[in-house]
Amino acid sequence: MRRMLAVVLGLWWLAGAGPAAADPIVAQFWYSFGGKNREVTEAHIKKFNESQSKYRIEGTFQGDYFQALAKIRAAAITKTAPAAFHVVGEALPNLWQGGMLESMEEYAKGANGTDLADFVPGLTQAGYFDYLGKKPAPLFALPFFRSTPILYYNADMLAAKGVKVPATWDELRDAAGKLTVREGGDTKVYGFEVPVDWWFWYGLLHQAGGTLMSADGKRAAFKDKGQEALQFWVDLVNRDRTMKQPPGKDYSAWEVANTDFINQRVGMIFTSTAFLNYMTENAKFKVGTAFLPAKAKAAVPTGGTYFVLLKDAPAAQKEAGWAFIKWMTDPEQTVSLSKATGYMPVRLSAINSPAMQSFYKDNPNYKVALDQLRNAQRFPFSPALFDIQREVIQPNLEAAVLGSKTSAEIMTTADQKANEIIGKYDR
Amino acid sequence: MASRRARRDAWLGYALVGPSLALFGLVYLYPVAYSAYVSVFQWDLMTPKRYVGLANYRELWSPEFGEVLVNTACYSGGVVLLALALGLGLALLLNHRGAWSAALQACIFSSYIVSWVAVSLLWIWMLDPQYGLVTYGLRLVGLPAVNWLGSPAVALWTLVLVTVWKTLGYPMIIYLAGLQAIPGDFYEAAALDGATGWNRFRFITWPLLSPTTLFLVVTLTIASFQGFDIVKIMTGGGPITSTMIYVYYIYEQAFQYFRLGKASAAVVIFFGLILLLTLAQWLAFRKRVQYTT
Repeated sequence: MRRMLAVVLGLWWLAGAGPAAADPIVAQFWYSFGGKNREVTEAHIKKFNESQSKYRIEGTFQGDYFQALAKIRAAAITKTAPAAFHVVGEALPNLWQGGMLESMEEYAKGANGTDLADFVPGLTQAGYFDYLGKKPAPLFALPFFRSTPILYYNADMLAAKGVKVPATWDELRDAAGKLTVREGGDTKVYGFEVPVDWWFWYGLLHQAGGTLMSADGKRAAFKDKGQEALQFWVDLVNRDRTMKQPPGKDYSAWEVANTDFINQRVGMIFTSTAFLNYMTENAKFKVGTAFLPAKAKAAVPTGGTYFVLLKDAPAAQKEAGWAFIKWMTDPEQTVSLSKATGYMPVRLSAINSPAMQSFYKDNPNYKVALDQLRNAQRFPFSPALFDIQREVIQPNLEAAVLGSKTSAEIMTTADQKANEIIGKYDR
Repeated sequence: MASRRARRDAWLGYALVGPSLALFGLVYLYPVAYSAYVSVFQWDLMTPKRYVGLANYRELWSPEFGEVLVNTACYSGGVVLLALALGLGLALLLNHRGAWSAALQACIFSSYIVSWVAVSLLWIWMLDPQYGLVTYGLRLVGLPAVNWLGSPAVALWTLVLVTVWKTLGYPMIIYLAGLQAIPGDFYEAAALDGATGWNRFRFITWPLLSPTTLFLVVTLTIASFQGFDIVKIMTGGGPITSTMIYVYYIYEQAFQYFRLGKASAAVVIFFGLILLLTLAQWLAFRKRVQYTT
């Protein structure tokens, strides 16, 4: 026992003393990817550390986006927050106005700067937010692992049933009916499946012709079209019985939908481009992808995350964090990150490079999300956005599909609550 | 002389319990006191705290919070009653020496020491409405599949069953200890008087087990009131809010919605509830249980 202790202490001393010789600046990076994307992230962190000797980044997995966000905010109170982390877009206005984030303007234009003009416009902070007629905030976030939802379909199944890929809500409904297989009371195969989730609802809301907030950001504006969007799901699940609502909270439901798709229990799903690599590798059938179907118009939200620096971190660590962020968003890394996952490359030069162009020719599924960016919808830059997402919309959508409330009741309450929250922040 | 000595002894006593009291104060009393303080502020862990008086408590006074209380009472009541009944039944069945009995006791107790996370994941998999082992078993005997975790009417009771499955070993072992403390002479005397099995249980076993039962009621109630892990892993409070029990509600308000003031107000109420419950059970314990043999 004592000898083991001595060995452990010795190793600890060595570990502490070893890097002291080179003396790099060590900074923490917290991330939220499990599974395959975690491996990809870790591999890139390792590559960054090996590519230079001035900085060393230590990456830590901190649970899903929302668990990580809770840890960041708790860590900020105890002054143990990392220099860099990545966060979903919807949480950014609140974090920025709460004063947690460092402006990146100086870093981007400094000695170790980056070419901001080379970023894909639809994926940047400026492309993500609608500033509601106010002055845009300075640059404080760079895109990292950005995605959009796309329609994944089992091409073999569609071909066998002679169903064409749906481009509108009506065609989707029709296709779901044709693909559904029932045996007695059991549904063997569902035509369609999508997590009853904020992100997909946000897409449907805009497809129906609505928006989340009024143009000046002073009122909630989603009530009618949001109800139409929710009712579309209710009808598919309860009237047509052709859509499966994957059970589970937040990302558990997403995993169910993915698993059902791979196991051919469902013909079509909506999910993030982020799973493209995973689906292609695991499916024993031909995976097809397409734009989300349109209603009044074609529309899609973007998602995934942004790199940010925390204001409270020591200057040297922020410098190290920036160096890492800059490197991760460089064309070379954005390409390898994209190929390994399905998230979109964030640099124009990367997309237009001959290597990437030929990759797209061989793997057309990877291009669908990128092309779909022309239908991308912005999110209102309001501190209320996060609360509306997490408290007002996300936990309440399910009740309509499970039949305990009507979509009209849910949206009426949501509208009222959203306006209360907007009012609170306005004060 | 004597008083000086008594005083010295008293100081020694304080010195001995001091470290443990200090630790208790630091990790238990201080957080509770701090929660009481935070409960009169609006705080999002980010911007400065804003004093709001009792607004957080008023905000808790809502149908939503009522539902949380009802869910918690159902969950806790279900777990305590079922665990007691099944634990006692198993203890009676296994109350004899032998390899089989010991092996079964060990098996049943093993789930008690497994982590909640592992148990929850295991059951999610077994209860899956399409591929789960339980679903398969039900189909085999011609019963319809139950949507264990997906139906708002069923999910809370599913959590009760899983919790009972996991904790059953605990009341069983405690009851076994209680049974073994009952002197054999009582049963011999009863047998001589011609008492039936049921009467022996009714008039000897059950009354003599009452201290054990009360002890179990107290510990199981408090433990089940604090249920969290199973909800976090298996349902996240859903579907809708059907499995939103107290501690998970606090967690959600604090670390999902960042309403620290409201969450802290819920903590203070929770502290009061547990205190009352413990007091009530302690009083019942003092009044009703005084058996000596």
